[in-house]
Amino acid sequence: MKRTRLIFIGIIALALVIVGVSGALRTGSSNPDAAFTVDRPETVTIRVQTALPVEPWVRQAATAFNAGDNTVDGVQVQVEIIAVDGLTALGRWDRNEYGALEGNGTPETLSEADRTRLEDFPTAWIPDSRYLVELANASYKERLGRDVFLTDGEYRARPIAISLFAWGVYESRGKVLETKYGAVDWSTIHDAAIAKGGWPELGGDPQWGYFKLVVPNPNKNAGGLAAMIAMAGEYYDRTDITVEDITKPEFQSWLGQLMGAVTDISGGSAYTAEDFALFGYSVGDGGQLLESDLLQNMQGIVTRWEDPLHIYYPNYVTWFDFPFTVWVGPETSALKKNAALAFQRFLLNEEQQKAALVYGLRPANPNIGVDASPDSLFVKWGDRGVQPVVPRTSAMRNPDRDVLLTLLRWFDLNVAQ
Amino acid sequence: MSKSKRTGKQPPPKQNLWVIGGVVLFLLLFCGTITVRTGMWLVDQFRGGDGENVSTPDEPQLTWEEQSAELTIAASPLMAPVLEQLAEQFNTQSGQTPDGESMRVQIAPYEPAQMIDAAVERPNFQALSPDSSLWLDRLEQAWRVKLGQTEQEGVVPVGQQRTSGQIRYAVSPVVIVAWESVARELGWPDKAIGWETIQQKATQDPNFKWNHPSTNNASGLLATLAEFYAGANLTRGLTEEAATQPATLDYVRAVEATVRFYGEGEEVIMQRLADEGRSFLDAFVAQERVVIDWNRDPKGERLIAIYPAEGTLWTDHPLALIELGAPQDDLAVTDNQRLTYQAFSEFLLGADAQSVLLTAGYRPADLGIDLGSGESPFANTDAVDWRQPQTTLQMPSPAVVEVVQNSWYYTKRPTNVYLVVDTSGSMEEGNKLARAKEALSAFVSQIKGDRDQLGLLEFASGSKNFTPLRPLDEGVRSDLLSQIDGMEAIGGTALLDAVYTAANDLLGQDDRDAINALVVMTDGQENESNYALRDLSDLLNSHADQRLVIFTIAFGSDADEGLLEEIARIGNGQFRRASETDIEELYKIISTYF
Repeated sequence: MKRTRLIFIGIIALALVIVGVSGALRTGSSNPDAAFTVDRPETVTIRVQTALPVEPWVRQAATAFNAGDNTVDGVQVQVEIIAVDGLTALGRWDRNEYGALEGNGTPETLSEADRTRLEDFPTAWIPDSRYLVELANASYKERLGRDVFLTDGEYRARPIAISLFAWGVYESRGKVLETKYGAVDWSTIHDAAIAKGGWPELGGDPQWGYFKLVVPNPNKNAGGLAAMIAMAGEYYDRTDITVEDITKPEFQSWLGQLMGAVTDISGGSAYTAEDFALFGYSVGDGGQLLESDLLQNMQGIVTRWEDPLHIYYPNYVTWFDFPFTVWVGPETSALKKNAALAFQRFLLNEEQQKAALVYGLRPANPNIGVDASPDSLFVKWGDRGVQPVVPRTSAMRNPDRDVLLTLLRWFDLNVAQ
Repeated sequence: MSKSKRTGKQPPPKQNLWVIGGVVLFLLLFCGTITVRTGMWLVDQFRGGDGENVSTPDEPQLTWEEQSAELTIAASPLMAPVLEQLAEQFNTQSGQTPDGESMRVQIAPYEPAQMIDAAVERPNFQALSPDSSLWLDRLEQAWRVKLGQTEQEGVVPVGQQRTSGQIRYAVSPVVIVAWESVARELGWPDKAIGWETIQQKATQDPNFKWNHPSTNNASGLLATLAEFYAGANLTRGLTEEAATQPATLDYVRAVEATVRFYGEGEEVIMQRLADEGRSFLDAFVAQERVVIDWNRDPKGERLIAIYPAEGTLWTDHPLALIELGAPQDDLAVTDNQRLTYQAFSEFLLGADAQSVLLTAGYRPADLGIDLGSGESPFANTDAVDWRQPQTTLQMPSPAVVEVVQNSWYYTKRPTNVYLVVDTSGSMEEGNKLARAKEALSAFVSQIKGDRDQLGLLEFASGSKNFTPLRPLDEGVRSDLLSQIDGMEAIGGTALLDAVYTAANDLLGQDDRDAINALVVMTDGQENESNYALRDLSDLLNSHADQRLVIFTIAFGSDADEGLLEEIARIGNGQFRRASETDIEELYKIISTYF
């Protein structure tokens, strides 16, 4: 064979060897691309962002779900719960911190590193309220031109439990208010808040000082916004509140007087009911908080303080419905979306709905009464004013984005500073 | 043959050569590219990166290992010993991260204000536990300013907050602590006693001695807030405007004039109560838990917790992780440190740790623990009352709290301080003189009251430089800093002469409204003075009603500690030791007494 030809063949062979070895090395490694497009995993893990009031219940449900043989298309499903306050999650969605794809991007067009990061993208979100879903979706629709959370169809948001906002007032204080005003409502609280002589003027013990109101910081806890919506509803005696209503000087003055009775806004944490129990009547004579939070902390209050708490229901009621919301964008696979639906169905089954009662949550399934479980907190604290069916109330309509932003702006300018 | 030769040596056609050359060039380029890419990929695999996060030599290095699971928590001084005990228990559990790193926690005591200052910059701790959440609010506010978000924007992006994962593991209300005899004299347990009672008593009875810590501690800050509320005639809604009204400031100034001295925190007060007993103070402001701690083994009379009638505030002992690694920062909490933080948080909220906290006199965060029965230190005693407090003062916004803290410097009791500094030849050793200069400069910067006066006496064999007491305006501050900067180490050690000279000058001022003090520092042995200790003692005794206080510092291991202790004793002050590493911190601590 001629030398030139030998050299030529040698070069070809060497090139083939190099390409072959390189290919073998790279094929042997874990390749997210290959896994994403070809491989069917043995298990699929979904991440569910969960609002704090339902997190303990959802977490125990996830533990039970993971222990069972729950599959989708033959793939084992595992659920990971991420506890995050609804407002915090909304902020993260707003800032796109999870890295939703812009424009018409798809995972296939991403680098390996970006695709790996997308593995952490939340599959589903359980915020406190439906309005948070609508706000997050509106934000993405403006940015991407498409919906990411749906209000109808297979992947629509479905409430998994309900909790009302109710008054929790220390019993001794509540009796004094009832004696003087006849009822506990925002009007009564307002009058108590502006009483210059404090509790002695209202007929209470001088030791109690001035009337102290507990309302969550609306920047840290979605319950704070719900409380302000309820205040507005009662002030205007209607269920639909507009931006014009919020900006009226008379209303703002009334609201300012009410919020002036809040003891600690700056240091308040997202766990307002827990703080309420930890510091007792020293920081708050009463407040409008989530019924489930009040019920969960009732035992602590009874153990720690000499005065128990009594629950009253407002005339204009706000509530959280904890919608289980599946992200419909291309960032999560169809397998993950369907796995999320499987977990949603699990939460809505009879056993888990009854388990919600142990956490003071009202079942989303209307066929299950609040006394359906012997461990129901509604049964345990029946003598503390908790009612299975709330009478005489008007449900506040979900406020729109502008109303919420106006309220938050007012709060920042007038209370938080 | 010639044909064959010709044929054998016949060069390939030119066309073939170009084809072969092209193919070879293509293959070389192709193989080269593949080889380089494969090489890069292999390097990437060995480094464990994803191909995009490979650090470059220009990137700053972490000060702890990337896999480190060791967590350092800065804790307020009063809580630090309890947390150290709990950290020790946690460490003995030998917890491990999934990658096999040992989870360990260590505690570093920090005054809350210093803790926050450090946390804004580059702290050597990854988590913090000040005595109150208000410090965390202050931290977030300072962090926003550092990031350039000077406007109040309400919702701060989560990724830009300085702390995360906050929990509370124990709480304790701030109370007025009094000896039982003093409490009964004030009307306890039948009469409601408040801030106003104490303030009136202090202004009417010159022998009544009370104290609150400086505003660098939660209890000191909370006591000061109570004074501002009372001065503004409010129990809520304290605004910047109300806090800075002349009438408010006059009231606070009058109350502060009755404070015997300020100082560090409750732990130092407790130590001095143990050392000096009933004569030290009649009442002071502290967390409820110090009453339980003292009464466990009372050295003399019992202490009583008085829950102020107007309302008080709580120390709530938060624990939070610091989100290091923010823009412009080169430190980051490792994933393993996060796991350790999470594990330690859960440990603190567990039954064993909560029991330890209860025993230490705190009210545990676990609401299932009944304070009023069983082995609880709150049970079967009237010195503390788990049903109290009945009401609290409203916590103002962080901005108002800052105004109160700043305004306090203009209302607090004025101070006349002489810094008496040894610059003898021995100060030349090591970095003693340089470190002393830094410490003195820090001290001068810490004294902020607009009525404070400062003097400086530099001595060796005799008085070298003597700057008499002068109001500490910016000009005087600048002069003092220049004098400190120009200090030189030479000569012997005439310690007693210097102390006597400064004391004599200070007593000659006869300023009874102010805190009068000397801060004396030496690194050697007395060897050249004309005055004796007895002369100094006679001088102080002859002016006992002026209550001059002398702090003495033994700098290094060669100082005459016996003499310094004796000077501090007859000067009703404190003796402290310092090294080159902590002399600056000590001067800062002493500055909190003024």
